[in-house]
Amino acid sequence: MELKNYLIVILAVFQFTTLLAQQNTVEGFVTGAENNEPLSGVNVIIQGTSRGTITDLDGNYQIDVVLGEILVFSSVGFETQTVPFTGQSTINVTLVEDLESLDEVVVTSFGIEQEKKSLGYAVQEVGAEEISQTKQQNLVSALQGQAAGVQVTNSGGAPGMSARIIIRGINSLDPGADNQPLFVIDGVPIDNSTIESGGTPRGLSNRAADINPNDIESMNILKGAAATALYGVRAANGAVIITTKKGKAGKVRINFNTSVGFDDINQFPEFQETYGQGFSGVYNPDSFWPNWGPSMEDINAIDPNVRFNDIWSDAMRTGVQIDNNLSISGGSENATFYGSIGKLDQEGIIPFSDWGRTSAKLSGEVIFSEKFKFSGNINYTVSGGNRVPHDRFMERLVYWAPNHDVEDYINPDGTMKTYQNTNPIYDARFSTYEDEVNRTVGNLRFTYSPAEWLDLTYLVGTDFYSDRRTEITPGPLGIDGENPLSSTGFITETRINSRDLNSNFFVTLKRDWTEKWNTTLRIGNDVFERDYERVDATGQNFVIPKFYDLSYASQISNSQDKRKRRLVGVYGDLMINYDETVFLNVTARNDWTSTLPIGNNSFFYPSVNLGYVFTENFEQPDWFTFGKVRGSWAQVGKDTDPYLIGQTYASPNIYPLGGQVGFTRFSQFGDLELKPEKTTAIEFGTDLRFFENRLGVDVTWYKSNSKDQIIPVPVSTSAGFSTFVTNAGEIENQGWEFILRGTPIKEENFRWDVSFNAAYNQNEVKSIKEGIEEIVVGSQFGYGGSSVTIKLLEGEPYGNIFGTSYARSGADANSIYLNEGLPIIIGENGFPSRNSSQLVLGNTTPKWIGGLKNDFAYKGFDFSFLIDFRAGVDQYNQYDNFFSAFGIAEYTLNRNETIVFDGVLADGSPNTQPVWLGQGEGPDGRDYGAGFYRNTYRTVSENFVQDAAFIKLRNITLGYNFQENILDVLPFNSARLSVAANNIILYTPWDGFDPESFSSGAGGNATGLTGLGYPGVRSLFFTLNLGL
Amino acid sequence: MKFKINLYKYVILAVVFAFAGCDDYLDINENPNNPSEAPLAGLMVNSTYESAQNTFRMGDITTNYVQYLASPNEASSSDIMDPVSYSGTWGSLYNVMTDINDMILKAKDEGANHYEGIGQILMAYNLAMTVDAWGDVPYSEGFNFVTVTPAFDDDAQLYTEVLNLLDQGIANLSAETSTSVGNDDFVYNGNSDNWIKFAYMLKARYLNHYSETANYDPVAVLAALDMGFENNEDDAQVEYFEEQFNPWANVAIRNADLVLGGWISEQFIQALDGTTFGVEDPRLPLIVGATDDGEYIGVENGAGRGNAPEQGARSTLETGDFYSSEQSPILLGTYAEQKFIEAEAAFGIDKSRSYEAYLEGIRAHMMKVGVASSEIDAYIGNAEVSMGVDNFTIDDIFKEKWVALFLQPEAWVDARRFDYNYENFDLPKNINPDLNGMFIRRLAYPDSEVSRNGSNVPDVSLLDPIFWDE
Repeated sequence: MELKNYLIVILAVFQFTTLLAQQNTVEGFVTGAENNEPLSGVNVIIQGTSRGTITDLDGNYQIDVVLGEILVFSSVGFETQTVPFTGQSTINVTLVEDLESLDEVVVTSFGIEQEKKSLGYAVQEVGAEEISQTKQQNLVSALQGQAAGVQVTNSGGAPGMSARIIIRGINSLDPGADNQPLFVIDGVPIDNSTIESGGTPRGLSNRAADINPNDIESMNILKGAAATALYGVRAANGAVIITTKKGKAGKVRINFNTSVGFDDINQFPEFQETYGQGFSGVYNPDSFWPNWGPSMEDINAIDPNVRFNDIWSDAMRTGVQIDNNLSISGGSENATFYGSIGKLDQEGIIPFSDWGRTSAKLSGEVIFSEKFKFSGNINYTVSGGNRVPHDRFMERLVYWAPNHDVEDYINPDGTMKTYQNTNPIYDARFSTYEDEVNRTVGNLRFTYSPAEWLDLTYLVGTDFYSDRRTEITPGPLGIDGENPLSSTGFITETRINSRDLNSNFFVTLKRDWTEKWNTTLRIGNDVFERDYERVDATGQNFVIPKFYDLSYASQISNSQDKRKRRLVGVYGDLMINYDETVFLNVTARNDWTSTLPIGNNSFFYPSVNLGYVFTENFEQPDWFTFGKVRGSWAQVGKDTDPYLIGQTYASPNIYPLGGQVGFTRFSQFGDLELKPEKTTAIEFGTDLRFFENRLGVDVTWYKSNSKDQIIPVPVSTSAGFSTFVTNAGEIENQGWEFILRGTPIKEENFRWDVSFNAAYNQNEVKSIKEGIEEIVVGSQFGYGGSSVTIKLLEGEPYGNIFGTSYARSGADANSIYLNEGLPIIIGENGFPSRNSSQLVLGNTTPKWIGGLKNDFAYKGFDFSFLIDFRAGVDQYNQYDNFFSAFGIAEYTLNRNETIVFDGVLADGSPNTQPVWLGQGEGPDGRDYGAGFYRNTYRTVSENFVQDAAFIKLRNITLGYNFQENILDVLPFNSARLSVAANNIILYTPWDGFDPESFSSGAGGNATGLTGLGYPGVRSLFFTLNLGL
Repeated sequence: MKFKINLYKYVILAVVFAFAGCDDYLDINENPNNPSEAPLAGLMVNSTYESAQNTFRMGDITTNYVQYLASPNEASSSDIMDPVSYSGTWGSLYNVMTDINDMILKAKDEGANHYEGIGQILMAYNLAMTVDAWGDVPYSEGFNFVTVTPAFDDDAQLYTEVLNLLDQGIANLSAETSTSVGNDDFVYNGNSDNWIKFAYMLKARYLNHYSETANYDPVAVLAALDMGFENNEDDAQVEYFEEQFNPWANVAIRNADLVLGGWISEQFIQALDGTTFGVEDPRLPLIVGATDDGEYIGVENGAGRGNAPEQGARSTLETGDFYSSEQSPILLGTYAEQKFIEAEAAFGIDKSRSYEAYLEGIRAHMMKVGVASSEIDAYIGNAEVSMGVDNFTIDDIFKEKWVALFLQPEAWVDARRFDYNYENFDLPKNINPDLNGMFIRRLAYPDSEVSRNGSNVPDVSLLDPIFWDE
C-alpha cells in the first residue's frame, strides 16, 4: 500500500490556479498554406492559460481573449503560429505544413496520441498505405521488413498460416514461453495466440489474422520496456499498437477494393531426375524406395512406358485468393462513423487447403458536448478453413516414386489408388481438419472533460471467440483390397472458447505552468481477465464407413481444459515538457496477478525516459534541421500461466481402461514461493535530420536483462517430478537499430522516398540454475541418428542447434562447437567418420535483420518495392535429410562414382583410399551395403544444418491513380489500379523450399527446425480501388 | 477548488477500494483441471498398469541383448550394444515408483493395509527392474522432492530394500485393511492371497539373483518359492484392453504398417526350429510369425535384414500370436519361471527335485502359450529335452528358462548371470568396439539424468557388472 502515499505525493505536486475574467471576443478563419482549404480541428489556445477552442469544419473559430494575450494556433502536421491580440476583431491565419513533425504523432499506450518528438524511446509507425501495399492477409506479416528490430517470420505458405513476431530478441528461457509482443487495438489488448493442431502439423492461424488489414489506419511498434511499462506484464515483450480507421467529419465516403492473387512455390530444391524406383540399382515398380533404382535409361529398357514425373509440381496447384472490401464512412462535427465489410477466400498450393475470412466492422464517435465524448468499435469475424496435414503430405511426396503419377490417386470406388505407398493427395483430401472461428472484438471509450486540464477516460473492451475444429481421418471403406488411411479411422471434435475482458480507467491532468513548462499526469487502473475453456472428444472405429459422427464410433475418449487468469494494475505516468526541448517522462506501475502465490503476486516497476532536442538550443548549420538524443531506463515485471503452483495429480488420457480411471502424480511441480520475473532495459538513441528533412538518421542502442525467469527447470525424474517451475536464470539481449530515411528527389511531378532499416541483436543466456546444465527448446527427427536439438546453455546464445558431425582431426575435445575448418577424419573403410557426440552446428536466431523500401511517384503513377533480409542464421533442413536418405537430392547423382574422400586418416596422413558411393557390390567387388548416402551422409546432422539467410523482394507494386480529367467523366472520386508481386527470393544460400518456414507454429520457439513445412509461395496480385 | 479536492479523494478512495477486494478477486489459481489429491483406487489402476508397461519397456530394451529379437537395420545401436540413452524408460520407472510411493503413504494414512502391501510389492518389482538394468540408482532421496538432485544408492543395499519391501508387503496383505482392493487392481482384482504368493515368487527370484555372490542361499530361495505360485492360474499378469492394445501387438501392427520392429533373431529361431538343439519346439509357431512362404527365418543380430524386403521374408512378431495379440497379457511373474528358479536353486541340493522342476517349468510354459498336450508330451519326451537326471546340467535349465521368458526383461538378468553361455550364442555383428568383444553388462545412465543430476551419476562403463554379476 506504499503506492497510495506515492500517488498522494504526485497529486499534491499538482496545483491548479483559478482563471481570470475580463474578456473580448475574437473570431477568424484558418486555412492551410498549400491549397488554401479551410483547416478544421486546429487548436486555438491562449498562451500560458488553459483556455482554448478548436476550429470547426469550415475552419472558423471564436474565442474570448484579453488584450495583450497571445493566440497560439496549432495543428498536427503544421507549424505552430502565434498572433498577439491587440484588439483585432478578426484574426485569419494560414498554417504552413511542418515538415519536422509531419507524420510524427504516434499512438502509445491506451490509444494516447503523443508527439514522437517528445518520446525518450524508439517507436516506429507503419501506416495504412504501407500495410495495404504489402497485400498480406495476416497483419503480422504486413510488418515484415518495415521496422527496425522487428523480426517477422512466416511459418509457411499455407492460407491463413501463422506468422511470428519477435521484437529485440527472445527474453525468456522457458521453451514454452510466448516471446511475442502484445497486440492492442484501439487501446484494448487482443489475443494473438496460435493454437496448433495436435498430431501432425497443419499450420493453424495466429489469432491476429482474424483482423482485416484493410480496417487498419496504423500500427505502432513499441519496442522497449520503457514504451510498454504502462501495459504491464502482458507487454513485457513489446507491443503492437493498432489504430483502426475512423470516420471523418464531412461528406460520406465509400471505398471499394477488389483484389485477385495467384500463388505458386517461390523456390524448389534441386532434385535429381535420373534415377527411378527401386533399391541397390535394381528396378522394382512396387518398391517402397522411390529413387534408389537404376537410371531411367535402364528402366525404359525394361519397360519403355515408365516416365519420370515432376511430382513436386504435379502434386501442387496454383493458389488463388480473392479479396473484396467495402467501407463507408463519414459524419458530422458531433458524430462520425466508419463501417466496413470484407471477404477473403484463399486456396493454397497444396490441394484442398483453403482459408477464408469474413469480417464486419462498425465504429463511431459521438461528441455530446465539449465535455463528453463517446466512441465505440465492434469487429466481428468468421475465419477458418481446411488445414491439410502439410508435413505428412510432403513426407509422403518424399516417399512417392516419380515413376508413378501422383495425381492419379483415387479409384472409382473411392479407395486410394497406389502402387504401395500412401498417396499424399488422397490423404490431403480425406484426412480433413476444419476450423471455424467466430470472434467479436469490441470496445467502448468514454471521455469526460469537466475542465480544460482534466480528462476522465474509461475504456472497456472484450475479445471473445469460439474456435470449432473437426478432424476426420476415415477408416476402411469396407472394400476388398483397399489401402485405408487408418485401420480404425477417427473423428476429433474440439471446442475452444476464450473470452478476454479489459477495463481501464484513467485520469489525465494537463497543465501549462509557464510559456515553457507544461506537464501531463496520468493515473489509472486496469483490470484484465481471460477465461478459456477447451473440450476435445475423439471417437475411433466408425461403425458405418463414411459416416463421421461421435455417436457412431466405438471408442470414445475426451479431455477438458479450463483456465482463468486475472490481472489488476495501477499506474501513473508523468510527462514534463520544457520548451519543446527537453521531455522527461516518469512512469510507475504496480500489478497484482492471480497466477502467482498470494503474497508474491504484487509487483512494482518504474521507468524513466528523457528526450532532448538539442537543435532547439544550439546554432547549427542550415542543413542540420533537427537533432534529438534520448535515453531511457525501465523495468517490467512478468507473471506466469495459471495453475503452476504446487503439486497435482492427473489422469493420463489412456483412461478409462476397463472402466477404471488411473491417476498419476503430475510431472510438474510449481515453486510455492514463485515470484515475478523482472526485465530491466536501458536504451539510448538519436534522431537526426538534415536538408529540410530530406535525410534522416535514427540510431538506437539497447540492452535488456530478464532475471528471475520463471522457467520449467527439468529435474531428475527420480526426485518425484520431471519439471520444477521456479525462478532461475537470466537472459540478456543487446543490440543496435539503424533507420535511414531520405527523399532524394522531390519535384512537382516526381518524388522518390527511400527508407532503410537494419538491426543487430546479440543474445546470451547469462545463467540457468545451479546443477542444471541445459534446457531443451525443441528437437527434430533426422535419419540414422542425425536428429538435431536446440538447447540453451549458460554463456551461450539462444538457439544453438546441436547434432552429429563428421569427426575432425585435431578438434578440441572440450569445445562444444564444431570446427569446420579442421580436416575430416576418414575411417578405415574409406568413408568419413561420424562424431556422434552433440556439437553446436549453428544458431537459429538471426544476427542481422532489416529492410529497404523505395517509393516513386510520377504524376498518377506510383511504384514501390520493399526488400527485406536476414543474415547470420542457420536452420535444420529436414527436407534435405529426407532427400539424401531417399536419393532425391540432386547431389546424389554421383551415386555411381568412385571417389577418394578429402580428409586424413586417424594417424593424420592424407586419405588415398578410393571408395564407391553406390549401393550393393561396387565395381571393386566390395559390398557397400546401402551406400554412402544412407550409411553415412544422412546420419550426419552437420550436412543439414545450413545457412538460412535470405534477401527477399517482399513486395513490389506498380499503381496508377486516375487523374482528375478522367475522374470527371467517371462516377468516382478516386480510382486506382495496381499490380503487385510478393515474396520473391532474390538471394539465399539455402537449398530447398523457402527457408522462411518452421514447423512449430508462431507460438513455438524452435524456429530453426523447418520440418517438412508448407512450401513458401510468391504471389501476384491485381487490385482495383474505387472511391465514391 | 472544492471540486478538485473531492476528485483527489475520489481517486484515492477508488484506488484503495480496488485493492481491498483484490485478494479475493485474484484468488482463483486453484487448478480446475488437475485435482490436488488422488484416490487410492486411481493410484492402484495406474501403478498396476504402468508396472506392466514398464515390463514391456524394459523387455523392449533387452530383447536384442538376449537375442530374442534383432533389428531389421544393420548395426542398429541396441543390437550392437552401443550405449543408448533410455531416458524415457528411466522416467517411466520413476514415474510409477513415485505414484506407488504416494499410494503407500496415503494407504498408511488411511489404514488401507492391502493398498500399502500391494504398493510395497509393486515398488519392489519396479525398483529391482531398475537396479537390474542400471545398478546404483536414486531411491532413498527420491520421490518426495526432498532435493532436485537425489543421491544414487548402492545397488546391493537397494536389493536389501527390495527384499524388505516384499516382506512388508506380505505382512500388510496378511493384515486387516480399512479399504479393500477391487477391480482397480489390474493384476489380481484385489485378491490378496495371490499377491502374497506373487511376493514370495518375487522373493525367490531376487534371492536367486545372488547366485554368483557369496550371499547366495539356495535354501532361502526354495523356502520362499514354497510359499509362491502353485500353478499357471496364479501368474501375475496384466491383460490388455480393447481401448489399449498390448504394446507388443502395437509393435507388430506398426511393423505391418512398415514402421519396422519386432523382427525375430536368427538365434531364437534356430534354438527352436531344431537347428541348434536338434528338436523342434512346438511353441515356435505360437509365438512368432512365419514368412510368406510359411518358413521361420530370423535376422542375425547386428547384421540387419540385408537384401530382404520390408515384409514377408523374415519372421516377426504378429498379432494373433501368444505374446503379441491385441489383448495379450504382459507377464510380470509366472509359475513357469518359478519352476526354473526352483530347478536352479535345487540343483546343488536335490538334483532330482531340480530335474522335475525343470520339466514342470517347460510343461507349464507350453500350457501357458497353448501347446496341445500331445505336442507337449512329444517335446518333453524327446531325449534332447528329457535327458535324465544324470545328464541334466545347469545349461539345460538356462536354455529352457530363456525360451520360457520370451520378451521378458528377466531374461537379461539370467543371461548375465549365465555369462551369455547359451549354446551357439554369438556376439552380434558390428558389435560396439568399446566392448572388447564382450557382451553388455548394464545400461548406460540416460542423458536426462546426466544433464539434470550429473554430479551424482556414477561413472561406469557398459562392461561394469551389477553387484550380483561380479
